[in-house]
Amino acid sequence: MAEQLALDVGLREGMSFASFLVGDNAAAVETVRLLGKGGGERQVCLWGGAESGKTHLLHAACAEAAAQGLRASYLPLDTLAALGPALLEGLEQLDLVCLDDVQEVAGDEAWERALFDCINRLRAGHTRLLLAARQAPAGLDIRLPDLASRLVWGPVFQLHALDDAQKCAALGLRAGLRGFELPREVCEHLLRTHARNLSYLMSVLERLDAASLAAQRRITLPFLRQILSGED
Amino acid sequence: MSSLWQQCVARLEGELSEQQINTWIRPLHAIEDPDALRLLAPNRFVLDWVRDHFFQRIVSVLNDVNGLSERRVLLEVGSTRPMAGRPLTAMVTPTTVMATDAPVGKPTTSLLHTTNGLNPNFTFDNFVEGKSNQLARAASLQVASNVGQAYNPLFIYGGTGLGKTHLMHAIGNEILTRQPQAKVVYLNSERFVADMIKALQHNVIEDFKRHYRSVDALLIDDIQFFAGKERSQDEFFHTFNALIESQQQVILTCDRYPKEVEGLEDRLKSRFGWGLTVAIDPPELETRVAILQSKAEQAGFELPSEVAFFIAKRIRSHVRELEGALRRVFANSQFTGRPITLDFAKEALKDLLALQEKLVTIDNIQKTVAEYYKIRVADLHSTRRSRSITRPRQTAMALAKELTNHSLPEIGQAFGGRDHTTVLHACRKIAELREADARINEDFINLLRVLSN
Repeated sequence: MAEQLALDVGLREGMSFASFLVGDNAAAVETVRLLGKGGGERQVCLWGGAESGKTHLLHAACAEAAAQGLRASYLPLDTLAALGPALLEGLEQLDLVCLDDVQEVAGDEAWERALFDCINRLRAGHTRLLLAARQAPAGLDIRLPDLASRLVWGPVFQLHALDDAQKCAALGLRAGLRGFELPREVCEHLLRTHARNLSYLMSVLERLDAASLAAQRRITLPFLRQILSGED
Repeated sequence: MSSLWQQCVARLEGELSEQQINTWIRPLHAIEDPDALRLLAPNRFVLDWVRDHFFQRIVSVLNDVNGLSERRVLLEVGSTRPMAGRPLTAMVTPTTVMATDAPVGKPTTSLLHTTNGLNPNFTFDNFVEGKSNQLARAASLQVASNVGQAYNPLFIYGGTGLGKTHLMHAIGNEILTRQPQAKVVYLNSERFVADMIKALQHNVIEDFKRHYRSVDALLIDDIQFFAGKERSQDEFFHTFNALIESQQQVILTCDRYPKEVEGLEDRLKSRFGWGLTVAIDPPELETRVAILQSKAEQAGFELPSEVAFFIAKRIRSHVRELEGALRRVFANSQFTGRPITLDFAKEALKDLLALQEKLVTIDNIQKTVAEYYKIRVADLHSTRRSRSITRPRQTAMALAKELTNHSLPEIGQAFGGRDHTTVLHACRKIAELREADARINEDFINLLRVLSN
């Protein structure tokens, strides 16, 4: 989670559709975009491992909903579950509810009941629901069959993590949003010689951007080496 | 959203993290009154958090944006929608933050739901009838046309996602079509319990009782959630008696036969059996196909029958999963603009089906069956031929044929190296027994449900 938080607060472009590299997830992204706008599906469930883009898409959907004048809520259950299932009360008043890290409440009787009841209330009204979890619904340890059946009520998409070439493209996309170009060899060097998780790569991009602004230099391979060696 | 609030949120977006914005700020609904800006939070929890962490900042940003000298800022739990919960109010002025629990207005009117809870989209017309549900459907129609007279209570039971709720709403809607003045109330047992607790807290339990005893038909879904809640059961018991005595209709659903619900009082269990108890079983293949076609038609999509058969053959757990898979195919088709063909559907459902196959293995079937019949997995492989072993072994073989893509020789091999004709015989035997013996049929359905969920 610490890694994902770094991604969350550090990047000023935010987690929008514009900053999301679609990769192999085109159908999921389009479905979520439509849902965020208040159209298409009533309920969508996304699942995938760390850094597959779940949190990013949930935030993007909230932003899209807000842009349409709709009320949305993002609830990360890994941090908020401890506060109790009362958190789910009244959500049927919103237009879109995004529940992240659903696996955190699987197996917890009170939470499972509350989530079951919440989905019923959302369905009875007009509220759309976007769920995300580490595992596919069938692989979550849900005890309450009534809840398990409701998690697969809408389309379920597996989000596929980016491969190296797509990570390069994601870094390039992010650089573009910041108004600079990231030379291909810089990206490839990074992937060859450093940790390849996206949150780390994005944090390097952040540092590079700041350093290049401060030093008034273009981002080149020697510059990258200098920055990284200076910090190691 | 009010423009003033929009400006405020835009400013906050520059200061707070996306998570803070999306979790706490965006759920707020702003209403601009002439003398106040009211911020409505969906629940008490959001209200408290916003009050403790962001309220001062919100007020100062609003002051900046608008010079908000005269206007108060109110932070409340509530909504502009009719289904609003109790308007717990936290009164706040730009300089003081004061939360009160005092309910505003008449609590009873906001406590008890003003709508009947019925979803007009669930009707008898779009309920797909099949062998698995025809009895329940026929009984439901009877009840809808003879309210309080035919079967009272009507008790519908069966696994999750098989159409109990649909039937219940269909009854309610049908009653209203025939008798528009009738008072019909549908709610889930969880809601009944929650409303009762609120009524107790606010000292309006008499209103609560009057409300539920004044209806022509009370429809309570998923009564298994009454289990272990003695006070609610007691309250429900009296409501139930009052309704039945005066021939008002009661319709209940449950995920199992009433006598099998643990934590439910015996006096309730026996009363639930006073009327008619009907089961809904998982839909068989043809019904699953018909359900898919009906849902496709409602959604305005063309669904070739080979695609419907493909999905129906692979997804057998419950209707929600069928619908989810269908929606997945639709979503992909809408996004790519490609027509729905068999190959297209296979591609769209690839990950879902791969996952399912991974879960349902012969090993898993043997383990589950052995547990169910309280025998050892080794017994299934053994040459023992006592009936207590043979029957489970045949059941496991039939399940393996139904749920996996293994060939008959492969299945035979996995059961202690048996011949494929033995597997074939087992499958026929079980099919025969399921027709003749309700108990064996129920065991088979239970196992199917456990394995395909």
